[in-house]
Amino acid sequence: MVHGNGHHRGSCRKNKIKRILDLDKDTCPNREQRANGTNVYYGKASQLLQDAKEGNINIPDRKFQQSGGCVLNFYLSNRVTTIRDAVTIFNAPVGCSAGSLGYRELYRGVPEALGRTNEYNNAWLTTNLQQEDVIYGASEKLRDAILKAEERYHPQAIFILTSCTTGIIGEDIEGTVDEVQAEVNAKIVPIHCEGIRSRLVQTGYDAFWHAILKYLVKEPEKKQDDLVNVASMLSYTWQDRLEIKRLLGKLGLRVNFIPEFATVSDFEQLSEAAVTAPICPTYTDYLSRGLEQKYGVPYFLYPSPVGFSSTDEWLRNIAKYTGKEDEVEKLIEEEHKIWEPKLNAIKQEFVSLRKNGEKPTVLGSLGQGRLVSQMPYFDELGLATPAAMAQDFDDLLIDELEEIVEKSGDFQLMVNTFQAAEQANVTTNLDPDLTLTCPFQGGTWERDNNVTRIHSLRGDPEPTSAQAGYAGAVAFGNFLLHAFKNRSYHKTLSEKTEKSYKDWWYEQDNPLYYLNESK
Amino acid sequence: MPKQIAIYGKGGIGKSTTTSNLSAALSDLGYSVMQIGCDPKNDSTTTLRKGKSIPTVLDTVRQRSGDLDNLVHEGYNGIYCVEAGGPEPGVGCAGRGIIAAIELLDNNGIIDEYSPDIIIYDVLGDVVCGGFAMPIRKGIADQVYTVTSSDYMAIYAVNNLFKGILKYSNNGGALLGGVIGNSIKSSLQEDMIKDFTERTNSDVIQFVPRSPTVTRCELDGVTTIEGAPDSRQAEVYRELARKVINNKDKYLPTPFDNDDLADWASGWINQLLLNRKVEIDNIQEEASGI
Ligand SMILES: Nc1ncnc2c1ncn2[C@@H]1O[C@H](COP(=O)(O)OP(=O)(O)OP(=O)(O)O)[C@@H](O)[C@H]1O
Ligand code: SF4
Ligand SMILES: [Mg+2]
Repeated sequence: MVHGNGHHRGSCRKNKIKRILDLDKDTCPNREQRANGTNVYYGKASQLLQDAKEGNINIPDRKFQQSGGCVLNFYLSNRVTTIRDAVTIFNAPVGCSAGSLGYRELYRGVPEALGRTNEYNNAWLTTNLQQEDVIYGASEKLRDAILKAEERYHPQAIFILTSCTTGIIGEDIEGTVDEVQAEVNAKIVPIHCEGIRSRLVQTGYDAFWHAILKYLVKEPEKKQDDLVNVASMLSYTWQDRLEIKRLLGKLGLRVNFIPEFATVSDFEQLSEAAVTAPICPTYTDYLSRGLEQKYGVPYFLYPSPVGFSSTDEWLRNIAKYTGKEDEVEKLIEEEHKIWEPKLNAIKQEFVSLRKNGEKPTVLGSLGQGRLVSQMPYFDELGLATPAAMAQDFDDLLIDELEEIVEKSGDFQLMVNTFQAAEQANVTTNLDPDLTLTCPFQGGTWERDNNVTRIHSLRGDPEPTSAQAGYAGAVAFGNFLLHAFKNRSYHKTLSEKTEKSYKDWWYEQDNPLYYLNESK
Repeated sequence: MPKQIAIYGKGGIGKSTTTSNLSAALSDLGYSVMQIGCDPKNDSTTTLRKGKSIPTVLDTVRQRSGDLDNLVHEGYNGIYCVEAGGPEPGVGCAGRGIIAAIELLDNNGIIDEYSPDIIIYDVLGDVVCGGFAMPIRKGIADQVYTVTSSDYMAIYAVNNLFKGILKYSNNGGALLGGVIGNSIKSSLQEDMIKDFTERTNSDVIQFVPRSPTVTRCELDGVTTIEGAPDSRQAEVYRELARKVINNKDKYLPTPFDNDDLADWASGWINQLLLNRKVEIDNIQEEASGI
């Protein structure tokens, strides 16, 4: 028994929050709380780093804000619905599930020859919450939906996606789950992704992994020394998946890809793997830490397999945990022999296209995970990155960003999620030779230099869209080169379309003009 | 694991007064105590802090997102004081406020960090909606106490609380630790509360008399334990503290239907009125010198 007086608090709170996950709780803290995340910043990367270190990061309000996604519908729902032998229940008004409608068609674009399963359907239900459910509570409706899901589909797992509505009225989801679990064979997995929980969509990913770790991952029966967990980003392409499989396959390793297109047993065996490897550190962080904490599965968060040196490093890291140290050196040598000449050819062509001997500049719009992995790759291509855009930033990537600033020097950094106007302003003012944007971040718009959409979704099976590994580094380099050389798309676009914003906005030197400074 | 209890009861019945005195008494007994006020009024812990209010959890987070270092404030004898906070009267959703504040404290390991021996949630009103039921859900409080007087509406609120407990009990929610009878002035009032608990499979843990000492200390901005430690009232709160810390009882109450409750109450209310009339008549008789 410790008396109140003189009871001293433990070490620094921030470190504590990040490292230890409490899987007894119904869900995780949000990213704002767990890692001081933000999605509003424009300035020097070094300044953001300093702010982060001093704990001075916050999320001011915008007076003008363009639409984005929420914790539920920004790709979380699309990911969960791809899990093959499971059903997803949206415990929500019907609109919350609207984003999931198109994805079945999208994924069917992946040819079966490339590995998409023939039996591929997105099975999901919605509780379709109404006024009456908000007033009287909706636990019966959820119960019914769970029983229907079981009866209709006999799934291995039933995921429940919660929404603003259930969050506001304080539905006791776990209570219902505890009660119904005994009546169904499927494992029920409630995920707390209420839209209002957080302004950072990353919270949805953490909440998802929390639920996976809490409900679905099984105690390891045996260790699988050749199994590598890879939590693959939706926005890496199908080709990237194949490339990763190819490279690890050459080392005699198998990939456990989750969550997209995975089966429930793929999740159950996460605890048996030799290592958890990142594709995107910000996405994988919570899962990786949880698997280590609970089952001792080692992990690393950096680098991702983008560009040659990072892919080398990524493979070496995996080899370290799987006893393939010798094999990996051989693999790297072989791969470099095949792909390096191709990369060098691209690099040479970029050099030959230089105006006044200067490096072409590229402005990348990236998730924070992509930010830290792609900047070194652009360097390999001989491109300069005087500025970059990231969808969000938090403490989880402080060390990585610091390394980049040290290596490649300081740069301008814009942090926003889907603020197309801010992006248009920065792009116009910096006027880089190439701009990469996410299709959801404003896509393309009329300008004289090149804007290229680059994030492709998992449903994109085109070899030219690849980005990961050695083959991806070459494909991506070619893609950039073509965009750099061929401006006709943008020429036509400028001729045929009107400007999206008025001139004063493009001329405005502060892209955060609409920030509410008072708060 | 700390002992976690939640205190409910009708508005103005004496929850915060009783809770703060309970916290102070437990702290004097040597326990490390955290008191969490779940009420947008932000007044649960004021008598533990010399009448001064503290910034609330929700306000702190609202002003500076990510700043979790300033949510707990020390009060009398090192008691950890927390106020959940919530909207201004007439706007927003206080229930959601309670959910958000408790989730924030719980999911970020803030409670664990202070590792108190006992955590007391002082919750406003009865369990009107999902938000106010948050503290009694599985994984938060393990025992519920309810403060009541012998007023019909206060007992009515207790009866409603019992319904809430029953609802959540299927899902591992908190069960009843006991009823605290407050502002007691006569043994008949005690009898009425006792009879209610007997009929609803619950029990009274302590009767707390109505006392001017409480009022005086409150005006000085302190608890009775701090302001009048030698008073009889302070001893009552200490007795309550000793009972609560050792109490392992978990009742699954059987609330009345509303109609039955009214029938049951009318008998007692008539008696109480009669009793009061006799009191007043006696005074008049004595005063008239007959
Ligand atoms: N045993 C008692 N003797 C005398 N006065 C009391 C006693 N208990 C409570 N009071 C007084 O009753 C008033 C209301 O008490 P308190 O604020 O504790 O109620 P509450 O239930 O917390 O109210 P709310 O629902 O508004 O939060 C206070 O002025 C308090 O001093
Ligand atoms: S969860 Fe909330 S923010 Fe997200 S789609 Fe539903 S209502 Fe909208
Ligand atoms: Mg009160």
